[in-house]
Amino acid sequence: MAKTVTAYWNDLRDTRVMRSIFRGAPGDSSLHGALAVQGNVFLHLASVKIRRRSLAFGATWYLGTLTLATFLILVVTGVLLMLYYHPSVPQAYADMKDLQFVVSAGLFLRNLHRWSAHAMVLLVFAHMFKVFYRGAYRAPREFNWVVGVILLLVTLFLSYTGYLLPWDQLAFWAITVGSNLISAVPVLGAKIRFLMLGGNSVNANALLRFYVLHCVILPFIAILFIAVHFWRIRKDGGLHTGPQEEHHG
Amino acid sequence: MSEQKDTRRESFVKLGLGSLAVAACGATVFGYEFLSPNVLYEPSPIANAGKPDRFPLDSLTADPASGIYIVHAAEGFYALSATCTHLGCLTAWKPELGIIACPCHGSKFNRQGMKTDGPAPKPLPWLRVWLSDEGDLLVDRSAIIAPNQYVRT
Amino acid sequence: MDDPKPFVAVVESDTRKAPLRVAFVTRRTSPQVQATDDAYVMTWPEGVLRVAVVVEAAAIVLVLLSLFADAPLEGLANPMQTPNPAKAPWYFLGLQELLHYFPPVVAGVLIPTLVIIALIVIPYFNVNVESEGVWLHNRRRRLQMFWMVLLALILFLVVFDVYAVLAPTLVIGACMLLAARQLIRVSPVQRWLTSRPLSFWIMTWFLLTSSILTVIGTFFRGPGWSWVWPWSL
Repeated sequence: MAKTVTAYWNDLRDTRVMRSIFRGAPGDSSLHGALAVQGNVFLHLASVKIRRRSLAFGATWYLGTLTLATFLILVVTGVLLMLYYHPSVPQAYADMKDLQFVVSAGLFLRNLHRWSAHAMVLLVFAHMFKVFYRGAYRAPREFNWVVGVILLLVTLFLSYTGYLLPWDQLAFWAITVGSNLISAVPVLGAKIRFLMLGGNSVNANALLRFYVLHCVILPFIAILFIAVHFWRIRKDGGLHTGPQEEHHG
Repeated sequence: MSEQKDTRRESFVKLGLGSLAVAACGATVFGYEFLSPNVLYEPSPIANAGKPDRFPLDSLTADPASGIYIVHAAEGFYALSATCTHLGCLTAWKPELGIIACPCHGSKFNRQGMKTDGPAPKPLPWLRVWLSDEGDLLVDRSAIIAPNQYVRT
Repeated sequence: MDDPKPFVAVVESDTRKAPLRVAFVTRRTSPQVQATDDAYVMTWPEGVLRVAVVVEAAAIVLVLLSLFADAPLEGLANPMQTPNPAKAPWYFLGLQELLHYFPPVVAGVLIPTLVIIALIVIPYFNVNVESEGVWLHNRRRRLQMFWMVLLALILFLVVFDVYAVLAPTLVIGACMLLAARQLIRVSPVQRWLTSRPLSFWIMTWFLLTSSILTVIGTFFRGPGWSWVWPWSL
């Protein structure tokens, strides 16, 4: 009788090395499931058990999860793209051409990064509307809604800073118009624009600042607030599921 | 006697919070100064347009490299900024229509920089023009002057 | 004062018999907001697996898209030449369309700021906490308010020629009036309309308006931000 994959896995999992990493023997009981979550630094942001109704597709359309998925793809592809990108003028544009024609899988990675970015912005808006229409912003989840709005702004700002990095005509003029809009803010507008661009116009300083914002500062802020967002879901009693139906199956 | 003198602990706490507040203000000021560049590697705002006789009478010449228009009117020379006052796009001179047009949102300006159409809030600014010692026309793109001031040669 | 607790506290050094606990959770201090008799599933492995499947699905769709569609890259940035038209990324095109009607201070600063503030305060305002149909209480007074607000809005939009926003305003206004009908026999659609709270109407108006503005900015604006028909390009 051949061993099943599960049997092989259980044997591997039962070795001394694996037991030192994951603690405890393998098993399927709820105790093992609980330990798997509680004993894992990444997973223990979640609770050990979740309500079955919050997993239903119709409840959330999984929009929040999809947004997180696109964020993860963006981080991975973004870091890989950083290996071939110099944030200087006009080298940045030359690097874009490099990625498209010279770097193996460069075109694919750049495409993936760009489409995931558009998808993430779209999903973040869709998630917001879905949360609103199912009333999941009501008490006790008010603060999580506010955290969500902050994440929306961070996402838009991430997309905006990333938009400049290819240093093509599309990038340059979109950011020029955008920065002129900022200077329309009364009193502080011109100063804010000067700080954001590191100068009076969109030039090398602006590219570098946007690069640092896009690759370091904003992702860091995003991850912080995402963690808060998930923690609040847990602390507010899990996902909002609405009243139960009268008859049970 | 409504107030009691602060205990030593209270005074210490106030001193600590006070110095933290001062430090925070200092950090903010230093942070702002750090973020605000003191040296810019941008081209000088003063553009050299060359000798005045390059520009025939009643001509409007665009210099996209410096973002200005040099106009030789009957009254003399003047310069307009070519940056649209709406959102910063570069305008273009349309000689067949006799207007300066912005491609972004359809603003139109006449030869004096006055807006004739579109969402631009202000006319194209007049820039300071003068003759250098060698007789070249110099334009300071950062110096906006009142309109209808001409440089005669 | 003391509830009879369903357990007995012991102190023992044998961790198998008396394992360490982090906190006692009695019914009154439970993080659950309302006691429900919901069925639970384990996060590991069911929950994590579901998330993994969703991430996989998203990855597959995006990878397929990336294999067959290229992201755009125009010419090198040239400060001396503005492309015509110079368009922002799609999620800002609604704003750019609004710029066509209002000055930058209004369309670029004021309106986005107000929208963000409005979004943030949503959960703290009663209008969003009510879940009953807007016409089910104080119908006459609310109808009067409704007409005043609607006519003021229509006037404002017509004065500034913002027909792009006028159209969805009229549509939502018409739907709200349909919802306000007092009928003897109600169809399921009518029942659904009447049960929508005010927050629903406001948010749907916002969703419709921003979608239309974005679609116009994307497909119906050409050089000089002039009106173009997309099928003629």
